[in-house]
Amino acid sequence: MEHLFEQLQQNFSQIVGYIYPNEIELHWGILIVVYPYITGLVAGAFILASLERVFDVKEVLPTYRLALLTALAFLIVAPLPLLAHLGHPERSFEIMITPHLESAMAMFGFVYLWYLLVVLILEIWFEYRGDMVLWSRSGKGLKKYFYYLLTLGSLDTSEKALWFDQKAVKFITIIGIPSAFILHGYVGFLFGSIKANPWWSSVLMPIVFLFSAIVSGISLMILVYGITALFRSKQIDMVCIDKLASFLFYTLIIDVSLEVLDFIHRVYESVESIHIMEQMISQKLFISLVVVQLLIGTLLPLTFLAFTKLLRFPDELKRLIYFVTAILVQIGIFSTRWNVVIGGQLFSKSLRGLTHYKMELLGIEGLLISIGLLIMPLVILAILIKILPPWQDRTAAVS
Amino acid sequence: MENPLFRLIRFGWGLISLPDQVKRLIFIFVLLLIGWFAIRSRLVPETFGEKGHYRRAALEANAALPVAYVGQSDCVLCHEDVGDLKRKSYHRSVTCEVCHGPGAAHLEDPETNLLFQPKERGLCTLCHGYNSSKPTGFPQIDPMLHNPNDPCMMCHNPHDPKPPHTPAECGACHGEIARTKSVSHHASLACTLCHETQEIHKENPRLAIPGKPQSRAFCGTCHGETADSPKHIPRVELDSHGNGDLCWQCHYPHYPEVF
Ligand code: HEC
Ligand code: HEC
Ligand code: HEC
Ligand code: HEC
Ligand code: HEC
Ligand code: HEC
Ligand code: HEC
Ligand code: HEC
Repeated sequence: MEHLFEQLQQNFSQIVGYIYPNEIELHWGILIVVYPYITGLVAGAFILASLERVFDVKEVLPTYRLALLTALAFLIVAPLPLLAHLGHPERSFEIMITPHLESAMAMFGFVYLWYLLVVLILEIWFEYRGDMVLWSRSGKGLKKYFYYLLTLGSLDTSEKALWFDQKAVKFITIIGIPSAFILHGYVGFLFGSIKANPWWSSVLMPIVFLFSAIVSGISLMILVYGITALFRSKQIDMVCIDKLASFLFYTLIIDVSLEVLDFIHRVYESVESIHIMEQMISQKLFISLVVVQLLIGTLLPLTFLAFTKLLRFPDELKRLIYFVTAILVQIGIFSTRWNVVIGGQLFSKSLRGLTHYKMELLGIEGLLISIGLLIMPLVILAILIKILPPWQDRTAAVS
Repeated sequence: MENPLFRLIRFGWGLISLPDQVKRLIFIFVLLLIGWFAIRSRLVPETFGEKGHYRRAALEANAALPVAYVGQSDCVLCHEDVGDLKRKSYHRSVTCEVCHGPGAAHLEDPETNLLFQPKERGLCTLCHGYNSSKPTGFPQIDPMLHNPNDPCMMCHNPHDPKPPHTPAECGACHGEIARTKSVSHHASLACTLCHETQEIHKENPRLAIPGKPQSRAFCGTCHGETADSPKHIPRVELDSHGNGDLCWQCHYPHYPEVF
């Protein structure tokens, strides 16, 4: 009891103004920050992959398969923060076998399953089938059977069959683009549709989420491509990475414009919540919104990228700039998610006070688990790369 | 010789005119679907769906959770004296367990499961610490100024809190207003000049609510053009100034300003 009082007193000292009693504790913590962050990476990486297939941007071919595998690795982890947040992870499988058809929250299960089974896995399967047949033929022992299983016994490598594979890939990618939009637009919708919360409630939310997802996906692919090239001691394909950086630049501009539009809209409307938002931004979110998201995560990368476009730099320096930019963008996008999720709960529904978020370190909703969840996709990606080598260096590229 | 069953399957497979890959995928998807139904038939929790989209037994499971709080009516069965005292006090609406913590264990065995007695100033200031967004009249103090260092219980009985003596100043309870007024142009005016106050208000505020000025004429007794008041007081044309609205719609009476 005594320690509860002490805790309460401590929390009180962080509170500004008037809040309702049930607002002193935030219910959506860092796990729910990690969730849209990861889903955003999935959608972004996939949309990048589709550039090559659907829009025929040949320059980014070296990242096509890598992007698919990255999307898959992150997609596998995407629901884990939610399941951990449910409080009873051991029972979480029950939501898969008793799906709810009307709940907006449960919709994620369907969107996820569709995306996993019908889009990503199928596309990867068609894309790799020809190769898997070859690997199964040339492999020995277990490896032979492993790849055989992966082909599902479909061993036909005639021109016609391979042609069909490529057609299927293209078709799935075309379905995949709206699916990726839905996947992450859905996450934005979840927040945007909460009409009781003025920080979230905005029709622009899904679109802002989507573009920040594309930004984060492209910058992630710059990082993944750069690092894997380093490990394989291969030269980085400058044409490809220049193209990626250009896309990053343009999408970042769109993303910023949308956010600024949202901001202007709010300031112009000036509904009664504007005062508390103003206070929140200047007191509680100053570091994470103004400093990290806006300055470090957006304006600095834009400046860097603009410089690489305006001036002639040696390749080495350009790579370094791209790399640093990509890292900054990742930090920026993570704080974007933070500001949406945590920010939306920091102000009281009375609009007269601000509460405080105290992150746990241990515990199932704590920092350590979240870091683990952020590392996990990278481990999965490493395994996937081992199983399905994605390298298509330009000289060896097939149609 | 090939098994005739396999031959039949092979034959049927050939009849479906879809690319081989697609047929195999469809086959896998059908398997997955069957697998899902099989798992579902086993693993759906027993009472699921009986009352709605949830496990009915969860209600009983929650009802069976140990009770932590019992409510004030149980406490006063044994602590009649405290109950009687508190019932008539300012704290009548604050129940025992708010301060003493959950009491179910104490009820079972009062002698060994003693309850916590909050003696620090921190408990009381959770509710009484000054915060401008609390409603007017809710008793508030500034912990830094209100007898710092002494435990609250030295002067206030937690079960019957009241100021130990009748406050001399209105500012003891209306601190914010008093402080504001003290640096305003109206600093020299006594509160009672504008608020007719019965003495009892300072002992038990709700028994007699002080009056408030009602009309423009009231302010006019000092600020009207023809008012019989000291020369240095600024004057306005009472009939026309401020569109005839109440003066305090534009001038805060405890800190009047000229814009
Ligand atoms: C069954 C009778 C009974 C009930 C009901 C009961 N108490 Fe008590 N309580 C006692 C007795 C007896 C003592 C004295 C224990 C001692 O001093 O050893 C006590 C002592 C206390 C004390 C002083 C503890 C201390 O450290 O000396 C507090 C505070 C208290 N009770 C609060 C409560 C509250 C709050 C409730 C209601 C949730 C409650 N009691 C209900 C019998 C009861
Ligand atoms: C505003 C907070 C508060 C509330 C409400 C409250 N108490 Fe207490 N109580 C205290 C504090 C503080 C003490 C310690 C007093 C001291 O040390 O002088 C205390 C002491 C006690 C004691 C032991 C000393 C004594 O005075 O007998 C008992 C018994 C007790 N409370 C019972 C109750 C019961 C029963 C209720 C509900 C009817 C209740 N209290 C409601 C704050 C509270
Ligand atoms: C859970 C909130 C709460 C806690 C904790 C609490 N009080 Fe109170 N207190 C109240 C309420 C409610 C009133 C009645 C206010 C009213 O009449 O409008 C009150 C009234 C009072 C008054 C009467 C003020 C007046 O108007 O003359 C005093 C004195 C007081 N409390 C002292 C204390 C002390 C000392 C403690 C710590 C032992 C304490 N309170 C703890 C809620 C609380
Ligand atoms: C013991 C604390 C206390 C003291 C001392 C006190 N008041 Fe109050 N006063 C209150 C409380 C509590 C209320 C709120 C009553 C309510 O709203 O139910 C109040 C209400 C008022 C109101 C009415 C507010 C309204 O909204 O209608 C006025 C005016 C007022 N007080 C003036 C004074 C003046 C003038 C003095 C000094 C002569 C004074 N009070 C001394 C506690 C006090
Ligand atoms: C040295 C004795 C003393 C101590 C210690 C003390 N008070 Fe007071 N308290 C008073 C007196 C006297 C008044 C009457 C107003 C005045 O004259 O300041 C009062 C008034 C109050 C009021 C009524 C104010 C209002 O606006 O109606 C509250 C509430 C209060 N005290 C709470 C507390 C709390 C909480 C503590 C501990 C943090 C505490 N007091 C400690 C003597 C004390
Ligand atoms: C010049 C006249 C004047 C003086 C002096 C004055 N008041 Fe007032 N007061 C008013 C008027 C007029 C209102 C009504 C304002 C309204 O209804 O918006 C008021 C409202 C109030 C209220 C209720 C509204 C509120 O703001 O909480 C309280 C309480 C109060 N006064 C207390 C005091 C106290 C205590 C003092 C002395 C420190 C004081 N007043 C001095 C004119 C005065
Ligand atoms: C008892 C006389 C008296 C009454 C009644 C009175 N005032 Fe004043 N008022 C004064 C005095 C004295 C001054 C200060 C003049 C000076 O600064 O020399 C003043 C100054 C002002 C000022 C000018 C402040 C400035 O910045 O120069 C305003 C506005 C004002 N009062 C409004 C009001 C309102 C509104 C009321 C009615 C709620 C009111 N007064 C009632 C005596 C009074
Ligand atoms: C619609 C808003 C409004 C209302 C209602 C209003 N005032 Fe004013 N008052 C003003 C403004 C604006 C000024 C400053 C400009 C001016 O002198 O006209 C002012 C100035 C004053 C001054 C300072 C004059 C000087 O020469 O320095 C006094 C005194 C004053 N008002 C008293 C009152 C009194 C008394 C009433 C009620 C009878 C009242 N006011 C009602 C808006 C208002």
